[in-house]
This record gives sequence, structure tokens and C-alpha cells, in this order.
Amino acid sequence: MRNVNLKKLIATLGASALISTGLVVAVAAPAQAADPVCVTDAKTGTITCDGTLSNGAAYRTMVPSNFDGTFFFWQHGVRPSFPYPGYTPPKGVEQMSPTSVNHKVSTIKPMLQLGYGIAAYDCSSNGLRGWNTTECVEMLNELVTITKKRISIKKTVVYGSSMAGGILTPYIEKYPNGADAVGILAGVSPSIANTLKSGCDFLYIFSVFFDPTIKGCTVMGTAKGLSGHMAVLGDFAKVGALLSQWSVDYGSLPIAYPATLAPAGIPQRSALLLAGLMAGIPTKSGHMDGVSVSATLIPEGSINSTVAILENAQDFLGTAYFGGQGVAEVVGAGFYDNTKTNFSALLADEDLGRFTVGLSGDEAVNAMLATLAAYPRVEGVPAAMTKLAALDKSKFDTSKPVVLLSNEADRLVLSGNQVYYVNKAKAVYEAKLAAWEKRLAAATDQPEITFLLKNKPVWNTVSMYAITPDTYTKFTATGAPDLTAPVAISGVGHESFTKEQLMTWVRVLAISAKTGKVPSQTVMTSYASKVPNLNTDPDYQPSELKYQD
Amino acid sequence: MNGVSATAAGDPGVSSTEIVLGMQLPQTGGASPGYNKIDDAARAYFDYVNSKGGVNGRSIKLVTKDDEYKAGKTITTARELINNDKVFAFFGSVGTQTHLSVVKDINRRGIPDILVNSGYSGFYTDPKKYPTTFGGLGTYTVEAKILGKYLKEKYADKKIGILYQSDDFGRNALAGLTAAGLKFEAKKTAASFVSGTHGSIGLGTQIGQLKANGVDIVIIAAVSSATAVAYATAAALAYKPTKWAVMSVGADSTTFQTILGARGTAPAASAALLAGTISASHIPAAGDADDEFVKAFKKINDDFNKGADKRWDFNVLQGMNIAYIATSALMGTGKDLTRAKLVSYMEKNGAKLSSAAFAPLGYSATTHEAFTGFWLGEYDASLLLKPLDGKRVVYTTDSAGGPVTVSNYQRPAIAADALPKVG
Repeated sequence: MRNVNLKKLIATLGASALISTGLVVAVAAPAQAADPVCVTDAKTGTITCDGTLSNGAAYRTMVPSNFDGTFFFWQHGVRPSFPYPGYTPPKGVEQMSPTSVNHKVSTIKPMLQLGYGIAAYDCSSNGLRGWNTTECVEMLNELVTITKKRISIKKTVVYGSSMAGGILTPYIEKYPNGADAVGILAGVSPSIANTLKSGCDFLYIFSVFFDPTIKGCTVMGTAKGLSGHMAVLGDFAKVGALLSQWSVDYGSLPIAYPATLAPAGIPQRSALLLAGLMAGIPTKSGHMDGVSVSATLIPEGSINSTVAILENAQDFLGTAYFGGQGVAEVVGAGFYDNTKTNFSALLADEDLGRFTVGLSGDEAVNAMLATLAAYPRVEGVPAAMTKLAALDKSKFDTSKPVVLLSNEADRLVLSGNQVYYVNKAKAVYEAKLAAWEKRLAAATDQPEITFLLKNKPVWNTVSMYAITPDTYTKFTATGAPDLTAPVAISGVGHESFTKEQLMTWVRVLAISAKTGKVPSQTVMTSYASKVPNLNTDPDYQPSELKYQD
Repeated sequence: MNGVSATAAGDPGVSSTEIVLGMQLPQTGGASPGYNKIDDAARAYFDYVNSKGGVNGRSIKLVTKDDEYKAGKTITTARELINNDKVFAFFGSVGTQTHLSVVKDINRRGIPDILVNSGYSGFYTDPKKYPTTFGGLGTYTVEAKILGKYLKEKYADKKIGILYQSDDFGRNALAGLTAAGLKFEAKKTAASFVSGTHGSIGLGTQIGQLKANGVDIVIIAAVSSATAVAYATAAALAYKPTKWAVMSVGADSTTFQTILGARGTAPAASAALLAGTISASHIPAAGDADDEFVKAFKKINDDFNKGADKRWDFNVLQGMNIAYIATSALMGTGKDLTRAKLVSYMEKNGAKLSSAAFAPLGYSATTHEAFTGFWLGEYDASLLLKPLDGKRVVYTTDSAGGPVTVSNYQRPAIAADALPKVG
């Protein structure tokens, strides 16, 4: 197995130090956005305009010659803000529309060919890209507003990926008429607080079983800016060293900590698997399907999933570390508290059963759970915890069509985020429907009845998942997983989709914007039948966040 | 959809002419021997029903998926059954750990999940947790309580030990035996192995431990393939306990001989190993040629089973029997068939449905446990499970702390046409 890509992680981690200032800085006083500079492509007739928003953020619009009046406003998630070897923070608009690097997919051309106008902005303020969600909401509103003044737009779609979930949901709730449809791709829903708590649990368990000097989320926010970033980076290096070691020995060495558990001889990989299951890390990864076995090194399915968790852990830790430091800059140190956490309850019955071999059986599981139960806990700072809980203010009550697409085994923004969004929105919808039915039952005069019948609440959300092939793990001649083989064609990674999947999402958004309603399930099923590895089952829920606050 | 909502007509998998049921089971892989006959047997019974006009004019189609007893695959096959095959209900799915991986999702969608071939009580004793799931076996706890009580009384002067797989099957059985008053000591009279590893580890350590600790009576709570490995290992270690007692799902004689045969053990030798073993059953012994259900089902098996291995045994009988009960429930639910109505019918009327079992079904609003009783028997030299002491006595209890008592249930006769009569 390859060593973990520390450079990549460090680059990702780089964003954490800068999140703070952006999030706490007030929105700048409105200034006048400059008129954009436009050029027309002589060959295609597409008009491309570059401009800046009132805070200096860059934006670009592209309008094809066959523009049909539907305009898409793209918001990519976040980007690290510090330069690192091999990485330079982008300047200006980096992406114009959904992109999948793994699949070498750009949707610019096909979207323009379909007659859609497209726009994007860099969501930058004070050197940050995407981190200041509050400011990004206002930037998006400004971009939509000024574009509508310049271009005759019939239908507006706002869509974005990853952290954009934390921008688009608040946007449509603050500006209900700011779009005709909303698209969230692999998005947080809408706060990362729940995922972050699982990330902190993951690190805490590491500190219990592998290295008591790991500080995990307790280090976050203890310093701000660059020094805080470096402190987190130092802690991460310890975890990175463990991941690197396991990538060589598959965690076969026995757990060394704490001293009371060491004599049990439980392999470290069992504790890694336990930690991953408790945090909700996908048990499939780019190379590991969670099922395939080889005669030698990977004799059982749960071992396959252990390697999957190891492969996924590096990106998930990126979420934990850079997201955690970023949040800590806003809410303060001490946002993580596990004094009341029942770790046993985080291990689902179905996981205990399915992964019993990888967990080394009942006795090992009981010993590890007992250790966690008895181990000193992390006591948070009430003020920080309160602020963290308050980050998510969304009501999930938009009546506009919302179209979601995630990978079932996204390792960075867990697919449980999409499940969480759908369940929250469904609860709001069902409450609205119940109230409507009650009111209709009580209505006596015809005008009110007519009004109610015209305004029946509708379920206006579509949830799609890119799913993996059934099996795809390749093994080397020695029986080891071949992590140099191509990754699964679908369902894994973050923001990694096929062109067909992305364009289906785009088309569903366009249709929804035009009709005001998401397509019927019959239509969605028809789409799914034509797009490989796309699941449009409305009840499909590949995972759940461990915390549902 | 949460739990069982009152869905209107138009549920997937049911039309004016057909009802589609889905089953997941290990058709291949290490745990498949024996269990891979259940689907063919059930399908044979449904085909027989279809040949007689079906249920309320609808034929029953059984779609099966091979999950190889791997929970990761079970998740995929369940998704296929729901999205591709559009099943009306899950029926007779085999395996505890595999089913655990999908039971929550099946219930969340409100899909009936009937006659599950697992005795894990956790599926059934809290219908609020799994409102659409109904058992197809008596629970391991009930069986173990009955078995444990007998062994404790019969072999009071003997050292009783257990070999169990450390999963919900094994834990459930252990809980029942403990409830019956048996006491085991870890690493001495209680030997466990991680479920699914028996093929690779050979159980030498576990059997050796029981031998070293002088265990006279060995109870096995494990799948059939593990039972076979345990016997073979004991023979290799020259360990001859006074008595073996094996939980029913791991004790089918045909499966036992098939597995050992594949390992090079001659039929006579494997029969000699199993002879004298105590086990339990909720249905007649497969070899009980005089039983009217056995006779009727065996005829249907001969005429309709298209499976690769249609040899008559406990698993075939079990497959036929749960198909018979499913047919009863579908008939009872009526022509206006919906998922919600089937679940409601099972809960309200399921306990009245008869079958080949000598104990009634326990279905109610407070529990979805299936058969509430077992009789105990001992394999003779021909590997027929014969009632202990020459007379079949059916014992009954619950999955909680209730006592073990003798059941006075009288099994209704099977109709001449071998079709259930409901209503």
C-alpha cells in the first residue's frame, strides 16, 4: 500500500489557519461593482464577461448564442489559502461549473451547448475562498442581482459543491426568490458541526489506543492564525505517522495503549476499524469495495473494509483537522466535549455483526469499549459548545426545488450529510402537510378551500446518489490490495462524478427551475436507467451521520 | 416512509396477476451448504400453489439473490431486490448477521420482511424497532432455554460446556442457556470463535480447550459448516464428549454429511459422528415419513423442485413450511393486497396460522417471534432425529424470563390438497 499523501493533506490543512479571520470579519460596506469586461467568441458566439463584486471578489459569466433564459450560478466549496510546495492558492474564478478531476470532466461546454448561461464567483474575501459562508451568501446574492440587471434571465439556478451546501441553503432561506432551483453536490447540510464531532471522536479514539499525546480537537483553537495552523499540523503529523505505518503493516501490531489493554493483543487495525465505524467513515473506498477477498492478506470482507477506512481516513482527517481548526477560530477552543458520549452506542448493531472478524470478535470489542468507557474524557468549554450548536440555523423550509447528488462513499463530506438534509426537509414538509390538511378539514367557506387546494404543500426535493459497482477491488499477486489500480468508476471520492451523472443533475435542475417542481419519480427512474451507477431511489439512505443535532 | 404507513394500493411488486417476493441467502460460499436449498424448496411450494391458481388469482414469484453470507453483499442484493426487482416483500431471508445489515432499511421503507430464517430474537421482540419483520424460526433464546433446561436436569452430574460463534446467533443461544440455569466459564467451559472463521482456523483451539477442561456435554451454537468442523476436529483430537447437543439450524444431518463428505469423510463415518447428538426442532424430523406434512411436502418437492440439490432434508422442509405460511398470510390478507395490510394481518392474525410446526406462531402486536416451542430429539444411527425418550413432547417458553412448560398445542391437519385454508 502506498504511503498516505501527506503533502495533499497538509495542503488541505492549510486552509484552517485562515478560516478564522474571514468568518469573524464583518461584511464590507457595499461598494459599487465595476462593469464587467466582455468578449465574444467569434467561433461559438459565447459572450464571456469578467468582473468583480463590490468586495473585490472575481466573477465570470458565460452566455451562449443559443441562451434559453436559464442561468446557473456556481459555487465551488473551499480552497486552502496558504501556498505549499506543489500547491498555489488559485486566484480569480477557478471553476465555472461542476468539474470532476478524477473523471477529467468539465461541464462548461455541454452546459453552454444546452443553451444555459453559466456564472461563477471565487467567493473570496480577506484572502479566503469559500470559508466565510455568511459573506458568500451575500456575494452570491450580489452576483445574481447584477447579472439579472445585465442579462434577461427567465430562470435562475444556484448550485454548488461541498461547503457550498453551507452557502446555498442559507441563501435560499434568506432570499426565497433568489433562485428557481437549488442544487447541492456532495454538500455539507448545511453545517459541518455534526460531521466534525465524529471527526473529533475519531481522533479521540486514536489518542486512547494509539498515541496518548495526540490532542485531536482539543488543540484546535488554542492558537489562532498561522500559529494555530502549525499547532494543528503538528498534531496531525502524529496521526499521519500512524496512517503511514499501517499502510505498510496493515495495523497488525497489537494495541500498545493504554497499558491495561495492551496485554489483550488486539491488532491495531481492529481499533482503527472500530474508530472508523464509530465515526461513520465509509467502509468502501476508491480501491476497496468492502466485499472482495483474497486468499492471503485479505481473507474476509471486514478486513477489506478496514483497509477502506484506512484509505478514507486521510481525507476524513482533513475534514476533522482543517474544519475543526476553522470552526474553533470562530467559536473558540473547547467546542468538543465527549463527557456524555456513549461510545458503545456509536457502534451500530449491524456494524458489530458485519465486521466481527475485523474487530477481532466479541472479547476484543468488549475490551475496547470498556477501555473507552473508562478512559478520561474531554471536557469542552460551554461557550464554545453553544456557539458551535448555533452554527446551523437553517430551517430546511424552502419551497423551491432542491436537487442533491452525492457519492454513497464520499470520504470527505460523508453521504450522511445528504441523508440529514433530506430527513430534515421531509420533516418540515410533513409538518406543513399536516397543518394544511388540518386547515382544509376545518375550512368552510369556498374561497379559503379554493386557496388551500391551490396551495397544497409539495415535496420538492430530489436526492440522487452515485453508487459504486458491486465489486472492484483488485489484488496483487501477493494477495495485497492493489492501490495503484484505477479507483472505482463511481460512488467514491469527493466531488468525483461521471459526466453523465453530473449532466443528469444539471438537467434535473434546469427542468425543476422551469416547472417549479422536481421531476416525478417515474421520470427520475427513467433517468437512472440511462445513467450507469446513478441511484434515484427516493428512500435510499447509504449512511447516517452519527450525530443528528 | 417511516415504519408501516397506510400506503394505498399500488405498492411495488403486486399486480392483478402476480406477487413478487425476494429472498437473500448464501447460495454459494462457505456457509451455503444446506441453507442454499431453502429457496428452491420454497419456490417449489409456490409453484405448486401457482399450479392451483395462485393466491386470489395472483401467482407468487420468488426472486432470490446470493449474498454469499457476506453482509456487504447483502446490502447490494437488498438494493437490487428493492430497486430492480421491485419486490412486494422480503421473504425467508437467511442469516442473522447478513440480515442485520439490511433490516433497518427494509423496515424504514415499510417493506414486509416475513418469515426470516434467523432465530435472533433481536429482530422480533420489539416490533416498534422492526415493525415489518417477522420470524420464520423460533428464536435461538427459546430453543436454548428448552435445550438448556433438559440438559441441566438430565446431566446434572456432568460438566456442560459450549462452543458458540461470537455473533448475535451465538450470544442469543448463550443467553437462553444461561436463563435455563446453565453456567459457563469463559476460556474453560465456554469456547467461542469469531463468526465466519471456523473454516480457516479449524476450531482446534476451541475444541482443545473443552477437552482440556473435561467438558462432558458439548453444546454447539453455530452454523452447520462450523458444526461439521467441530465434530471433525474433535475426532482428530480423539475427544469424545459424553453427548453433543446442537442448536437446530446447525444440526441438519444431510448438510453435516455433505460438508464432511467434501472433506473426505465417508458417509458411514460422518453418520457415526452425528449419531447420538441431541438437537431440537419446531417441525417434524425430515425423516419422519409418517408425518402428514412431511408426506405432502415431500411429494411437492419431488414434483416441483427444480433446484440442483432437491434431496429431502430439514432445510427443504423448512423452506416448504415458510412458503406454506407465507401463502396463508397472503391469502388471509385478501385480494386488496398492500404492504401495510400484510403486516397488519400478520400481526393480528398470524398467530392463528398453522403449519407443519408443532408449536404455534407467536405473532402479535408485542412480538413478531415465530414458533414458540420446540421438541427435543436424538439422532439415531440412520440419522433420523427421534424424540427423546420415545415420545415427542413440545416445550414452550418465551425469549425473556418466562418458564419452560409443556405445550398443549394441537397442530391442525394439512388439507388434502396441501394448500392452507384461511378465513
